[in-house]
Amino acid sequence: MTDTKNSRRTIRFTLNGRPVAADIGLNQNITEVLQDSFGLGGSRESCGQGLCGCCTVIMDGKAVTGCLTLAAFADGASVTTVEGLADGETLSAEQEAFIETGAFQCGFCTPGFILMTKQLLDENPDPDDEEIRHYLSGNLCRCGAYPEIVKAVRLAAGKRRNA
Amino acid sequence: MKPFGLAEPASLKDAIAMIGDADSGVRPIAGGSALMLMMKPGILQPETLVSLRGIEPRYSSIETAGDGGLFIGAMTTLRRMELSADVARHAPVVTQALRRLSNVRVRNIATLGGHLAHGDPHLDLPPVLIALRAKVHIAGRDGERQIDVEDLFRSYLETSLDSGELITGVTVPAQGNRKSAYIKHTTRSADDWPALGLAVSFSLDGDVLRDVRAAIGAATDIPQRLKSVETALEGKRAADALQGAGDAAAAEAQVHSDARGSAAYKRELIRVFTGRVIRKAMESAAGGTI
Repeated sequence: MTDTKNSRRTIRFTLNGRPVAADIGLNQNITEVLQDSFGLGGSRESCGQGLCGCCTVIMDGKAVTGCLTLAAFADGASVTTVEGLADGETLSAEQEAFIETGAFQCGFCTPGFILMTKQLLDENPDPDDEEIRHYLSGNLCRCGAYPEIVKAVRLAAGKRRNA
Repeated sequence: MKPFGLAEPASLKDAIAMIGDADSGVRPIAGGSALMLMMKPGILQPETLVSLRGIEPRYSSIETAGDGGLFIGAMTTLRRMELSADVARHAPVVTQALRRLSNVRVRNIATLGGHLAHGDPHLDLPPVLIALRAKVHIAGRDGERQIDVEDLFRSYLETSLDSGELITGVTVPAQGNRKSAYIKHTTRSADDWPALGLAVSFSLDGDVLRDVRAAIGAATDIPQRLKSVETALEGKRAADALQGAGDAAAAEAQVHSDARGSAAYKRELIRVFTGRVIRKAMESAAGGTI
């Protein structure tokens, strides 16, 4: 589709398993659209430069930086946010592990860490500590909960293997 | 960001017909991670973006020639390159560089073509590709051409691409028994943009270095060859030439002070890391190191 004059567009995509549509500005990023059109605050812009990971969403099975990804690129895609991980009241293995390990203080960065943990474990079900640190090196926690976060990832890996 | 339109051509030819020069307001977008960083503060204010995401799949592919040479399409994501067994086998120094380039999310989105067309000297692959003697494939309204990667960069954030030209891919020639290495030095977090990137590639004739290619990024305005290093090493045993190569590199590179360090600090980094990157290459398996 070529639409060079109009600066708005209706996009259709799958959001946390549900088909949805949104009227977006072409200059909006996916994090803005998740907040403005769907009231989902799990992906939140913090550094604005792709360094901190707070805006992480999973698009077509790949973790992306929501604040640097045009919402128009989500047209036709499958988008998963932290709000889509739980099954009703049942939390995902990654969510349970972060709570049980106390892997946060303020929680602002936690959705990004949890989504990156899910991505890591989807790619590598049994990562060692070095791989965990490497994979999560693009997520920043200002509270400094890193030791607990590494433990949470190991715990989540165990929960997923035993599920 | 200011409002803009979005065109999504289905072929490279249509994309080339749509884009204009840098002043036209019609600019290409691939992954968009670098472009968004320029659009958010208003440094770039396009009227229309031409998305390259729908062009032919060939430009997202990695092909291997019989001799071990590689063609990597411009729309190939950096993550796909990082995980490619062919890249790891034939140009392992590229795989090694990618593992510490930004982070997984950005590598999932950013493309090789965008990485090069951005023209930012802090990016990791330009010095690596220069050291490997890679070529950039460029297509425009008047046809196709190939240039050495080192000839792509003209000045800070400026490339030698003409109006209406797009990068279509990169070829990395077969490395044979050449040894290569890349070292980046960051002054903040491990995946920060580097204060210095140094790449080197050479053949070994016994313990004598031949056909040396050295390149620098990050500390200089553009990624570029360090010809004084190449000269200092050519035909020498590495153990006899490290000091001279480091001194030559520090004298040749035009460095500036910025948030990642003073010019004097960067010159010292260059002096020390030139020796280290050569030693790292010496210790690597044929073709490079992971």
